[in-house]
Amino acid sequence: MSKEDYPEDILNSLEDYNIDIRDFLPGHGGGAKLLLDFNRIKGIEQYEGIILRGKEIPNGIVADVIIKEGTKIDEPVHLCFGVNKETGVQEIFPRIIAEDNTDVKVQAHCSFPNANGLIHKMYGHFYIGKNCNFTYTETHYHGENSGALVAPVGYMYVGENSIFENVFNLTKGTPGKVKIMLDIYAMENSVIRSNVKAFGKNKNDSVRIRDAIYLEGQNASSVLKMKAAAKDGGEVLMYGITEGNAPYCNGHVECSEIVLGKGSICRARPFIRATDPTSSVSHEASLGRFPQKWLDEIMAKGLTEEEATEILIEAMLGEE
Amino acid sequence: MLLEVKNLTIPTFDQKCVIVNDVSFDVREGSIHAIIGPNGSGKSTLAYSIMGLSNYKPFQGKIYFDGIDITDMSITERSKMGITLAWQEPARIEGLSVKKYVSLGIKDKSNLGEKVTEALEIVNLPSKKYVNRYIDNSLSGGERKRIELAAVVAMKPRLIILDEPDSGLDVIITEDFMNIFNKIKKLNMTILLITHREEIGMVADYGTLIWHGDVLITDLFPYVMLRYCKKAGLKEFCKRTLYKEGKPCFPEDYIDRIFNEEEPFE
Repeated sequence: MSKEDYPEDILNSLEDYNIDIRDFLPGHGGGAKLLLDFNRIKGIEQYEGIILRGKEIPNGIVADVIIKEGTKIDEPVHLCFGVNKETGVQEIFPRIIAEDNTDVKVQAHCSFPNANGLIHKMYGHFYIGKNCNFTYTETHYHGENSGALVAPVGYMYVGENSIFENVFNLTKGTPGKVKIMLDIYAMENSVIRSNVKAFGKNKNDSVRIRDAIYLEGQNASSVLKMKAAAKDGGEVLMYGITEGNAPYCNGHVECSEIVLGKGSICRARPFIRATDPTSSVSHEASLGRFPQKWLDEIMAKGLTEEEATEILIEAMLGEE
Repeated sequence: MLLEVKNLTIPTFDQKCVIVNDVSFDVREGSIHAIIGPNGSGKSTLAYSIMGLSNYKPFQGKIYFDGIDITDMSITERSKMGITLAWQEPARIEGLSVKKYVSLGIKDKSNLGEKVTEALEIVNLPSKKYVNRYIDNSLSGGERKRIELAAVVAMKPRLIILDEPDSGLDVIITEDFMNIFNKIKKLNMTILLITHREEIGMVADYGTLIWHGDVLITDLFPYVMLRYCKKAGLKEFCKRTLYKEGKPCFPEDYIDRIFNEEEPFE
């Protein structure tokens, strides 16, 4: 697939994340790939050990990704759900199965650079088998007009002895209206690490993320980190749930949110529940401004308070 | 004088009592000047007040930097004039790369990579190993202190306030830090060293002894240290530790005589 076959606006849209979508086009770099242009499949590239299928349906596609048993690959599976249009409805139904003993990364790029009334919905089902190492990274860019309505829902089953890492990033551009709901079920000895980051930048941005981890297997463990900032009237709600429902399971929820400018609202709602007497579940939440000591530390290097705050937001919402 | 502190009195946050009381001393340009004193004597309070932290505003007195009254200036204004502070416990600003952190205070961003490398190497951190790492809990306390030091050196300030740079470091690393301070001094940066450990203070040219918020003496560092030892009743310790470049700073009988004299200010 040549670079001319895909809208330039989408190709350039993740620059602020230091991601060049050109590197992930079919025929460029390794790994399996599936590219959408609105509701049309623009390209599929297969890779050994992975079955990738896409089917166009009214308003969207069904995408099946099957990682065959024992497959271990460094190159990520790339899913690009791009929309160049201002309006319309895109519905994605990804069904991802990682069979036992697999080690794979899946990167999804959801880019809507010109969104102005665009609706993107996703209904994802993930099945991670036993002894897997599975990383799912979803990076979003919704343009600069707060014009997207994005509502993904995901259900994830993580099998015995597996590690599941989930990274969701919506920190560049303006999110618009975002409602995310994710349920992760963790089986025996599994490890879940989930990092969610979002930044609401004006009064038309409203981000609500509800991530739930259910520790259903003995010794399952999880850390759910939710970080957000809201400025100039933006609103962010982070609702982090962890339930300890099995012997000796261990979970932690951490919500950190920064509020900047009048009219902005950050809300954190860590919810923890334990139904097994040997389980351990904890949470911590902090909202408001950065600690003065952190600001002083940066300001002592010649930066103003505003610049120091920008740096701290960059750090909080940046890579880890 | 690069820094002049005149009759500075700093109260507690609630203004109910005084932490530093009518303190005066001068710091010469190009020197290492140690502020020593026991825990709780007001050393860090003094450092934060000189840096201009909002919770450490003086109740009375003046601070002059290069002859300019900076008492009412903000922390940012002071740092733009060439004052900075390396923190005793730098915040773990996770998510920021070492390169980004070290370059925060570099005004001219051209050849940034080279400038960051140079700063890291001054503090004995191999640039290749650290420049792309992130500031997180994979870095030890000593590594974080060096990165903080690199960040202040990279600014090329005129005055660096080092707040307890030795805290939490083992003896071998402390020795290395002393060498780093000498390297920084050779780069024409003045150091105001806050410490309560005599061995690290031995790198200093001058010193000021603070005791329960009062300045007892400002002089060449060995004399200040001698007075500190006398105040604490540590004669043998004094004889054992007051060495510079392998030689005792004072003959033993001189130390005996000083210890036998009455305290002039008590």
